[in-house]
Amino acid sequence: MRIFDPHIHMTSRTTGDYEAMYAAGVRALVEPAFWLGQPRTSVGSFIDYFDALLGWERFRAAQFGIRHHATIALNPKEANDPRCVPVLDELPRYLVKEGVVAVGEIGYDSMTPAEDTAFSRQLELAREYELPVMVHTPHREKLAGTHRTLDVVRESGIAPETVLVDHLNETNIGIVKDAGAWMGFSIYPDTKMDEDRMVALLQQYGTERILVNSAADWGRSDPLKTRRTADAMLAAGFSDDDVDQVLWRNPVEFYGQSGQLILDPIPGFDAAGHPDPAAGFEGNSVLRGARV
Amino acid sequence: MSTETINGGTTAAATRTGADDAWAGGTGLPFALGYGTNGFTDHSLPVALELLAEQGYDAVALTLGHPHLDPFADDLDARLRDLRSRLDELGLRVVVETGTRFLLDPRRKHRPTLVDEHADARVDFLRRAVDVARALDAECVSFFSGVLPEGVSAGAGWERLTRRLPAVVEHARASGVVLSLEPEPGMLVETVADALRLRAALGDPDCLRLTVDIGHCVVVEPGGVRGALLQAGDLLANVQLDDMRPHAHEHLPFGEGVVDLPLALATLAELDFRGVAAVELPRHSFDAPGLAERSLAALRTAWADGAPQRRCAQWVGESAAAISADPSVLARVFASAGRKVGRSPLDPDVDPAGVLHGTADDRARAELILRLGDTLAPADLSAALQELYTRGDSAERRGVLRGLGALAGAGRTLDDAVVDAGLAVTADALRTNETSLVAAAVGPFAAAHLDQHAWRHAVLKLVFMGVGLEAVAGLRDRADAELARMAEDFAAERRAAGRPVPADLDLIRRADARPAARTTSS
Repeated sequence: MRIFDPHIHMTSRTTGDYEAMYAAGVRALVEPAFWLGQPRTSVGSFIDYFDALLGWERFRAAQFGIRHHATIALNPKEANDPRCVPVLDELPRYLVKEGVVAVGEIGYDSMTPAEDTAFSRQLELAREYELPVMVHTPHREKLAGTHRTLDVVRESGIAPETVLVDHLNETNIGIVKDAGAWMGFSIYPDTKMDEDRMVALLQQYGTERILVNSAADWGRSDPLKTRRTADAMLAAGFSDDDVDQVLWRNPVEFYGQSGQLILDPIPGFDAAGHPDPAAGFEGNSVLRGARV
Repeated sequence: MSTETINGGTTAAATRTGADDAWAGGTGLPFALGYGTNGFTDHSLPVALELLAEQGYDAVALTLGHPHLDPFADDLDARLRDLRSRLDELGLRVVVETGTRFLLDPRRKHRPTLVDEHADARVDFLRRAVDVARALDAECVSFFSGVLPEGVSAGAGWERLTRRLPAVVEHARASGVVLSLEPEPGMLVETVADALRLRAALGDPDCLRLTVDIGHCVVVEPGGVRGALLQAGDLLANVQLDDMRPHAHEHLPFGEGVVDLPLALATLAELDFRGVAAVELPRHSFDAPGLAERSLAALRTAWADGAPQRRCAQWVGESAAAISADPSVLARVFASAGRKVGRSPLDPDVDPAGVLHGTADDRARAELILRLGDTLAPADLSAALQELYTRGDSAERRGVLRGLGALAGAGRTLDDAVVDAGLAVTADALRTNETSLVAAAVGPFAAAHLDQHAWRHAVLKLVFMGVGLEAVAGLRDRADAELARMAEDFAAERRAAGRPVPADLDLIRRADARPAARTTSS
């Protein structure tokens, strides 16, 4: 089974998670830029974070056979801090970099005027740089926030099929589907969604334009929730092809609109995906002899 | 030959529109592939031409003299008319070569040459070759300088060349024929640089251009095949193709020497060369038809293998033009390399991840930086390097590091500002734990400029990270007793832990006979 986790914050995860994800079938992921739990106080803090997403974290993922991509943005929560807002001027140079597959996470946290401004500005950037958009929906006031999100997207003129609205649940899936955008679901141990409710939604709404992610971060979360959802789908009678569509082809199709996905196997990990013990990685190959 | 050909490259470029098909001939390459008749001395000229056309060659390099075309024959004009119509029938382009061994003196090879005490016979012969070229509508007359006779100084030889050549050049100009000077190992004009110097001494006449033999380049050219071809640039009028080993001026069939044929052909395409590139195997007539066939197959394979290099060159050319038109696009262009030229490892057999020797995008970025080194002032280059590195992702940072390596390896002296920027980004890369960044930071730039302490730590770090020491430029020159001690301590630590000792440690432990090297290199 091949799995693409379209939303996971690996910066906050361990190498053990990477190993477990690889073993579960995860071969590619997208790490959206978000807040770090501790609020940032300067633009420089964002720069180091973005650089880490495109540098060290990508390298770390590759060591475990997983292709790492990122979305870049000023997140809605920190859009409210004037010390952070100037990072908007730094975004363009990141949006042209390899493996940056969307502008995101953007959207609403508390639905303030500052969030409105940052949201609109970043939708414009997405249009200018021809990138898809990854929209976070608020934890509080989710339904109202989703309505407002869809209104702003519509007014921006951006094509709905280039927009992914994330963290959905039973209450707002319908309006996102009707808007023509992609629907993202974060499967959590005890908040947001769980795998059985997800299966029920897939039975009701079908498998098209739906993405399932673990959204694992520094909170209580589980990077294997993608695999558990896949297993739950199979148990509920979905086919292997249905699972492949939701857990691989859909995220590939959505983020593929950026032209920035890199999905060929990482050297040292063969096409079937299992680590090739004879090849090693990054120069640590059998060619590097070792003696005791 | 019409006078417009005197303009060589420019005219060729101007007239190629609409003529691409005719010029591309049977090989599908932008330049014509030919074969030298001096490799067909056991065949008559008509038979040789027929064979070459039949095999798919688009051109012939015709050596005047025995056994094919006697330039002193009484009925020369009639023979040239016949030959011209035969070339037309076969669709072959032609260049005239003058390297006949015993045409002028039956006892002494190539004598007399332009640097001998008496050279009237050579000068007359060259003038006659120009007449032949005119009658054949040949693309050029290729000629060499000569080996200095014993006891004659280079200065005296140079004086002879500059005294005798103007008459030949003037005759060529008046005849509308291009003369093409070929540097030859062991001769007074040995390299492209020598040829350019001579041309300058003659006042840079438009009808005097250059022949480059790609085999010679691995013997005498400091910049190798690619460097020599680029140095000849727009002045390149004629190319000879063969393989060769360093240290031996012996023309070999492709595959028997060290010439990077895909790179040579890709470089010709990059230069927009539209002339004749002819196989030069003057000692292989015994198997001429077979060699001609195998050579053409090797050339076709090499052309196909050079596709990534051509893509790289195209991207570098377009990018350099875009940056020169609008410098503000640099960062965006630099970031796009992987998408345009790919990310494959350059040496997949020994380095599947491209960590040791780099990737296609590394090469493209390094080439672009090399180009910027030609066009930007040192202060601007320094600022650009720092900016591209600091604001780059890992791949861009590797590109900057490998670009620094290319600048340092190109044999030029780097401005202090560029060295300072280079040292700053190298230090940054060496602090990271990304294998490909650390490996890219120990190339020719580090070899030339990094202080010894930092360099030793970089080398040991590679071993620690499990990265092969093939990544290190100048390892033998800089490894010293202190590095050997560090390696030994590291090995002891590994043994104490019951862990394997990396075999690469042996490469630096062996340096223990060497005294501690300088502490700084610059």
